[in-house]
Amino acid sequence: MSARNIGTGDGNVCDRGSTSSAGAPRLTRRGFLGGGLGAVGGAAALAAALSPLRALDRQDYTLEKFLQKHYKEMAPEEMAEVLDRIRAEVEQRHGVRPDLSDVKPTDGVEFVYGLHLGLCIGCRRCVHACVAENNQSRSPEIQYIRVLEMPRGSMDLERGDHHYDRAKVPHESHYYLPVQCHQCANPPCVKVCPIEATWQEPDGVTVIDYDWCIGCRYCEAACPYWARRFNFAEPSFVDSKEDINPEMSYLSNRPRQKGVMEKCHFCLHRTRAGRLPACLEVCPVGARKFGNVLDPSSEVSQILATKHVLVLKHEVGTLPRFFYYFDEDYPRAEDHVTLPASSSAKPPSGGAE
Amino acid sequence: MTEHPQPTESLPSSPRGAAGSWTGYLVGPVFLVIAAWFLWGPEGLDIPAHRGVAVDESRIPTTPRRDLLGDPPVINIDGFDRTCMDCHRTFPPRPDTPARLLKHQHIVLDHGINDRCRNCHDGEDRDKLVLRGGTVIGYGEVEQLCAKCHGPTYRDWQRGAHGRTNGYWDTSRGEMVRLQCTQCHDPHIPRVPAMDPLWPLPGPDTLRMGVPEDATPHAVIHVRDPLRRAFGEEDAE
Repeated sequence: MSARNIGTGDGNVCDRGSTSSAGAPRLTRRGFLGGGLGAVGGAAALAAALSPLRALDRQDYTLEKFLQKHYKEMAPEEMAEVLDRIRAEVEQRHGVRPDLSDVKPTDGVEFVYGLHLGLCIGCRRCVHACVAENNQSRSPEIQYIRVLEMPRGSMDLERGDHHYDRAKVPHESHYYLPVQCHQCANPPCVKVCPIEATWQEPDGVTVIDYDWCIGCRYCEAACPYWARRFNFAEPSFVDSKEDINPEMSYLSNRPRQKGVMEKCHFCLHRTRAGRLPACLEVCPVGARKFGNVLDPSSEVSQILATKHVLVLKHEVGTLPRFFYYFDEDYPRAEDHVTLPASSSAKPPSGGAE
Repeated sequence: MTEHPQPTESLPSSPRGAAGSWTGYLVGPVFLVIAAWFLWGPEGLDIPAHRGVAVDESRIPTTPRRDLLGDPPVINIDGFDRTCMDCHRTFPPRPDTPARLLKHQHIVLDHGINDRCRNCHDGEDRDKLVLRGGTVIGYGEVEQLCAKCHGPTYRDWQRGAHGRTNGYWDTSRGEMVRLQCTQCHDPHIPRVPAMDPLWPLPGPDTLRMGVPEDATPHAVIHVRDPLRRAFGEEDAE
């Protein structure tokens, strides 16, 4: 109650409060000094705690942004306003007038991605094409695709190397395993999000509302494929005018801000318009396949029906929409084929073992 | 004397005794020092960033690796477009395949046991290809010829499991371009050559991944594992 009680601060505030409430409050020199120091110190500590606010850019924290609704709750006219605001922001910040839209999923479409592990040569063109297409920060660097160089005969991801630097690829004793967002049908990252800033769209793509994300990074920790990236710093480009891809959509490749999550979204702005993802189009060996799994004549449906398919970390039960596949084990001309010696040729027998 | 309260007297059970009366006065100054440190002290944790690497668009073309030959193929000789038969019309075809070529010696044939020109090229009409059994096809249908030996691959190519696709997955909205065999493979040396990889983009510049020292293309990264690099170790190669 009184300044004296606050100022003494000896840990027995409750007891002393009860004693002083019995008598009249008195302002003593000691109480005044103690209370004053405490009050000034507390105010200063509060100011210090708030001091990082001075470093914020006022344009980033407008009332308009603060009151912006969740993506799913925005009416079309509200979305139009938001898109206008983002267009102006991008132009002001990066000097590029974006072709920004909010593309919606199509009914009867579910995207699936296939990657031929036998063909991938680890040239990393997909990584670079993805960075260029999706306006990923060049500094600090953010990439959605990681190409792991794996020793042949092993599926131990711990032995994969992201940082291989060879004169030529493929290296004969390694194979290459590109990993990106698997767009799981049972996504752990969506489950852990405390504010529903990330969710699965009807066409199977897990998206992030960059304006809703609070940057808690739970999703990054939950993802078994190490597919989510966090903007630790404000994304920057070497030369915005050159680097920024003006074809953008709200949920995919519009420029992100510091403190939000981002990840592969199957190039939503392209694929929802019927086009193929950027990483696929650039693949020089045709190892990447993309399409609508609900269409039985699509490439991915046929691959799923006829090829050996591998799902990465199937044991975690995420049901990915990204799969790896192989050819049948038929000998190729360049393979060294060892024919069985005539002595080991056995007549077909059913009960030998 | 009355101005001085005696907390120890009123609280005989206090374990801290007289010391508690003066430690409280430290709280304020400590707060002030902390506040001064935050307000005027050194900058907060600054995540180090290198200058970044621009993506070299010329290294990521979406065009096919090889140009498709015309049907019939046309070559430019001394400024004039010629087809094969423009010359070969005047030369009667040899009945055999010579072991050593006298012409076209720049052509290297490294196609496994398929080492005879006439396995694929028609002897009579040099603008055409020939299937086993003598059926003559144009250069535009080259996949028919490849299919004669590479059945499973041809089957996969038809389904879309082999080969490169460009354009649109949704054929109602645009064209899906499935490249032909010879747009990726050189029919004389069909094995796809090894490529130079694009330089490894430095690891994500997060706290977890460490700071890439040099982000220039093809920089020799002596220590590839950023965690080891952080502790000053060399990679065991």
